[in-house]
Amino acid sequence: MKVLLSWIREFVAIDEPADAIGRTLSLRGLALEGLEALPGLTARPDGSSDPAGDWLLDFDVTANRSDCMSMAGIAREIAVVYGLPFREPASRWPSGTGAAGTEVPALQDAVATAANVPAPPAEGAGPAAPAGHGLPISIAEPDLCARYVGAIADVTVGPSPAWMAERLTACGVRPISNIVDITNYVLLELGHPMHAFDHARLAGPAIVVRRAHAGETLETLDGKTRTLTADMLVIADAEHAVAVGGVMGGALSEVSATTQRIVFEAAWFQPASVRVTARALGLRTEASARFERGADLTAASTAMARACDLLQQLGAGQRVGPVIDAWPRPRVAAPIFLAAPRVAGVLGMPVPDTEVVRILTALGFSVATVDGGWQVTAPGWRVDQHRDVDLIEEIGRHHGFEHLPATFPGVQQAPAASDPRIARDAVARRLALARGFSEAISFAFIEARHAAPFHGAAAPVMLANPLSEKFAVMRPSLLPGVIAAVSHNRRHGRRDIQLFEIGTRFAPTGETRGIALAWTGLATPDHWSGARRDADFFDIKGAVEQLASLFGAALDIVVPSPGSVAAEVLVPGRAAALVLGGQPIGLAGQLVTAIADAHDVPAHDVVWVAELDLDALSRAGGGPLVAAPLPRYPAAARDIALLVDDSLSAATVRGTIQAQAPSTLVSIVEFDRYQGKGIPDGKVSLALRLTFQSLERTLTDAEVESSTAAVVQLLTTELGAVRR
Amino acid sequence: MTIDPSIGPARARALFDEELVAVTTASGLQELRNRWLARSGSWVAAFMERLAQATPDEKKALGRGANELKRHVEAQIAERDAALAASRRPEGAVDITLPGRMPALGARHPLSLIREQVGGIFSRLGYQVLEGPEIEDDYHNFEALNMPAEHPARDMQDTLYLAEPLMPAHHEPPTRGLAPKAPQPLTLLRTHTSAMQIRQMERHDPPVRLVAIGPVYRRDNLDLTHTPMFHQVEGLVVGRGVTLADLKGTLTSMATALFGEGQAVRFRPSFFPYTEPSAEVDIRCIRCGGEGCAMCKRTGWIEILGSGMVHPAVFEYVGYDPNEITGFAFGMGIERVALLKWGVEDIRLFYENDLRFLEQFGR
Repeated sequence: MKVLLSWIREFVAIDEPADAIGRTLSLRGLALEGLEALPGLTARPDGSSDPAGDWLLDFDVTANRSDCMSMAGIAREIAVVYGLPFREPASRWPSGTGAAGTEVPALQDAVATAANVPAPPAEGAGPAAPAGHGLPISIAEPDLCARYVGAIADVTVGPSPAWMAERLTACGVRPISNIVDITNYVLLELGHPMHAFDHARLAGPAIVVRRAHAGETLETLDGKTRTLTADMLVIADAEHAVAVGGVMGGALSEVSATTQRIVFEAAWFQPASVRVTARALGLRTEASARFERGADLTAASTAMARACDLLQQLGAGQRVGPVIDAWPRPRVAAPIFLAAPRVAGVLGMPVPDTEVVRILTALGFSVATVDGGWQVTAPGWRVDQHRDVDLIEEIGRHHGFEHLPATFPGVQQAPAASDPRIARDAVARRLALARGFSEAISFAFIEARHAAPFHGAAAPVMLANPLSEKFAVMRPSLLPGVIAAVSHNRRHGRRDIQLFEIGTRFAPTGETRGIALAWTGLATPDHWSGARRDADFFDIKGAVEQLASLFGAALDIVVPSPGSVAAEVLVPGRAAALVLGGQPIGLAGQLVTAIADAHDVPAHDVVWVAELDLDALSRAGGGPLVAAPLPRYPAAARDIALLVDDSLSAATVRGTIQAQAPSTLVSIVEFDRYQGKGIPDGKVSLALRLTFQSLERTLTDAEVESSTAAVVQLLTTELGAVRR
Repeated sequence: MTIDPSIGPARARALFDEELVAVTTASGLQELRNRWLARSGSWVAAFMERLAQATPDEKKALGRGANELKRHVEAQIAERDAALAASRRPEGAVDITLPGRMPALGARHPLSLIREQVGGIFSRLGYQVLEGPEIEDDYHNFEALNMPAEHPARDMQDTLYLAEPLMPAHHEPPTRGLAPKAPQPLTLLRTHTSAMQIRQMERHDPPVRLVAIGPVYRRDNLDLTHTPMFHQVEGLVVGRGVTLADLKGTLTSMATALFGEGQAVRFRPSFFPYTEPSAEVDIRCIRCGGEGCAMCKRTGWIEILGSGMVHPAVFEYVGYDPNEITGFAFGMGIERVALLKWGVEDIRLFYENDLRFLEQFGR
């Protein structure tokens, strides 16, 4: 909300410099967003000129404070903060001055009470104006339009005086003509939106506040033809809609240079209805912004009085006939009980009773001291006041949050357990970091084409209103994000990259937490002592196996089944599915070129990737750990070298041994594998270290030899192995 | 080269000293030793021959000089030998200035560091740390937080919606409050982690003391200070006698832990639909120390979080009696803390995963 210091001073005699006011109000709930000196803005409404110019202060008004969307509203806050008197708008323009005709008593109200509200019209809200001074107003939807104040005026349309045009311009409103400018001036000054119709363009002439007929059209002031729906409130004449209630007027009834008679409107529209309508029409106006947040039901008459007063002051015209105030259901303000101990109970700082009463009274509340506290009635402009805590906030912010002591809540019970995923993820993260992977964090929404290979046959989780196509699908896998990060780093000069991400994956069946790894370039950093080697399948597989072992999970690492995601995204022959208890929980292998290309990874790069379901992995862990005693008898190791077919998998060799090995065989390690000189084509030399150990006694050499020979014999007969 | 035995001990000594200076290696020293001291062909040997032919008087003088010189040469050679031995590389020595072997060590993501740090701070203060689901239903993300449909405050958090609602895989029905007992369709990406707080309250009696940490989503375009996904930590303390002053103490302590001892903090009144009273919290500008700079827009203060006393309506939604208990809540952006703490100028860097960036934040 942009306010002018000179305009503020018409309501409160504040002498502080603009920047000091801004700083002070920032600590009282109105954050200063901008401050601008306007040395050229010197013209004042009384015809004088102030050589000091003016200041424009821009405050960030929070959504609850519709009352501060005006000069008067900000001025009231300043008055309370600085302890200065505030000149109430309702007392300054008790009626439209100088006009002929009968005043309607309701004009006098500042805070509506049953006494000064006209009796509600009969059912159906028929014409409320005296006959002859012709403006029947009927409100067919009193829930959506609780009050409609109308007045007719004869006018001479022309430009506004400099002071008014300058003030409007400074506040970001374009001056149009004296009549339109008056409505905007009142809006900025009092926060109550107004509208002016060309009386000659109103059929009837009459004002009917009703819902739009389905399909009814209206050309709004911005020149666009709007098709309305039945949930939108319109202001209509006897025949057609002439304005969208609280949002924008119609072009046909717009005040023009030739207009001679107008109808001023100052009404109250229901916030939710205005909000829905404005959003449906894609129209957000100064008026809708204020009605949406909640306008002051009691202020419509004050606004009308001010508009008529300005009409007079500008010499732009004269009200004709009475102000007609259709107010079918008067506002009955319910008092809020504020228990005295509650103030310190919520704030944690004592506020003297006198201070409580001073703050609330200065803000316009009426305060009655009762047993144990106060009965407090909020003024009409404080539509945000419903409960005692609302009052306590007012007390707290004006007493000053800077006076709050710094205390701590007492502990009333032992803290409950944290999400177990936090500690679990930390374990996985530590391993990945120790294995050289750096941590990536990517957006959870990705492009559909990047998601497609990873959700397989399952439907993707798509967004209805994504920011762009790049963020359209919730990731089914963490890999697209990690691959994109590899690509980014490759394109910025990195050759050797290891990245991982721990995060959520999304599927129609729900969310799962996973870890993804990507590795390209060297297996280990260059060192003077050794040969450089690029990462290969066994590097990524090793990382995955270590991860699984951290969680005590026995992973089966198998060739992916055709059609599975692993088979689609990994190079055949260098692809592994990770299986836990029969369920696939991830994959590891070399990324296919098509996916690398789609992420602009440089051609010919070999990217090794893996992904694991951490939720599944962490469920795999066995029961509570029981420490095993250390073996009391020594182990004996024997190395054997065998020639086998090179098509034979290590798993087959291992499985064959394990299926028939004596219980004393405690480990099998493949410690060498050789093909080349001295080895026949189609064969591979396989070196295994077999370790034997008994828990009961020391094994004899003969026993170990015999067991080893049995293993060799087994491999010879079952797999055609030849001992070297 | 044989040394001329005719020169006297004094000249010989000067000559030896000259030669010794030029010796830098063990083999050179051995050669020097041979030339001066060997039984044959050395200066000593030649001099002894000459001495044999000298008169007794000459013998006496020359003999003394020769012995002195011999002792000098032996002592000097021994000394140099020791010096050379000391500088010689021991058996099996390596060049300890060559680089050591350092297997690659990954870099922590800065957001992950802050997340862990904040979790740690509140764990120490006895808070439960929760993460919760990222896809939520409207009730938990908005309605129960006092933002019913068409509430204007929903505009404050532009929401990303799912194209097709999902039904939750696991449903833990609320045990109290106004929440629907049946599982609700999940329609949106949570705009804040507060949704998790509601879920916790509607299944547990007070007191409650938790922080919820994790990614949240809003329909914000990417720019220097906005990303459509970011991370939040939100705290909630509910019980008897919890006050706004308790909130101030707690957040001041957190700011000190995050930004350093003596970090000044101030509270400004604000508005959130789920808290009343509400406060925004500023820290004294960590770049200029409060003098006023571009980072703090010349105010000397930087906003870091929103907070307040839990709105009674929220308690009614979860079935707590607002007359019996009070509570405070706060929400802070992890990215914002990281931006401020490390002087990062573009929030998008957190999502590019550029190793040159990540490697700056320690391992």
